Amino acid sequence: MGEIKSEGHESKSEKRIQAAAARKVTASKEARQRSITRAITVGSIALVVVVGVVFSVISNKARTDVALPPSAIAANGSGLTFNQTATPVINVWEDFQCPACEIFEKTNGQALHDIATSGKAKVVFHILSFIGPESVILANASACADEVGKFLDFHSYAYAHQVTENSGFWGTNSVIAAGKAAGIADPKFAECVNAGTYAKWVQNIEADGTTQSINQTPTVLINGKELDRSTGVYGDKTLFAAALAAGGVK
Amino acid sequence: MKKYEQWFSLIARLVLGGTLLAAGLLKISHPYTSAAAVRAYRVLPTELANLIGYALPWFEIGIALTLIFGLGVRLSASIAGALMLIFIAGVASAWARGLTIDCGCFGGGGQVAPGATQYWQEIARDLGLTLLAAFLIWRPRSRFALGETKGAI
Repeated sequence: MGEIKSEGHESKSEKRIQAAAARKVTASKEARQRSITRAITVGSIALVVVVGVVFSVISNKARTDVALPPSAIAANGSGLTFNQTATPVINVWEDFQCPACEIFEKTNGQALHDIATSGKAKVVFHILSFIGPESVILANASACADEVGKFLDFHSYAYAHQVTENSGFWGTNSVIAAGKAAGIADPKFAECVNAGTYAKWVQNIEADGTTQSINQTPTVLINGKELDRSTGVYGDKTLFAAALAAGGVK
Repeated sequence: MKKYEQWFSLIARLVLGGTLLAAGLLKISHPYTSAAAVRAYRVLPTELANLIGYALPWFEIGIALTLIFGLGVRLSASIAGALMLIFIAGVASAWARGLTIDCGCFGGGGQVAPGATQYWQEIARDLGLTLLAAFLIWRPRSRFALGETKGAI
């Protein structure tokens, strides 16, 4: 009896040990599977991040195979250039939707346009579009206006009718209407706006602004020297005239 | 580990991950603005600052996803914590140098009016997030985590 009992006891504990061992095997199998799944998930997230970073870095570089509007000169960062051979040199970085640019335009736009048309200095307009898709439409349209020789007219008109940023107002139709109101009769303008002919150029200006370290708009450089924002020069006629005079604009 | 700690770790994962996800998503479609925000700190050379501006949103989203899903929590939290310390150092140095910029943490960034800086709020927020990251490094195991295996967390 005692023997049988002990036999039974032994076999029971053996079973228990075997069952435990089996459980251990399944558990470790499951654990291995889970850690493989985990490694795959983490790996694919890491892969997406790496691909995204590489894509982002490559796609944000300026490209060379880009249609330029007639006044754009590649050597000037593809900015729309008036009086290429003249000195001094004025570089203007702006976004049609930027409220501070509107103030600058209202205060000093006329002076700048006069310089551009009279040839008193070289003026380069860099039309940025970082505020949003409506800025992109406006920037492309300004290049289209340049195509028919009416950039400055469009420039004035767009600022005179600036609305709240990305309010949904600026689309291809409203931009074409704005062009007409600004005195652009050539049907080429509407075609160009609808086709987004200079979309890549717009992108290139953004990329160039990034390499030139233009951190905000408006930014004006006279002979390469940035006007000091803290003086309030952008919104002050007298200060801006003084800055122009100091830069040698007669 | 105590039960409430696992719940707290879950909250920490979701808050830290959620914040990083929002920060990444708000910046990712505006790479030039993001690059300009990094340049505005005037710490790094232009090229490197731009590179970080382009890369950071992707990186933030990646870390956010691993935290939210609960995968490799200790490693993700370590990286997120290190990121927060770098952000704090950046904001503090901008403050100390008398720059008047927005941190650009959630898009935007760049120069603001001298009275409009929010340096201490930005630092306080990032310090809070650093503490969450530290808790996760200490107690990585939590409820509803995909990657919960014994041993390696």
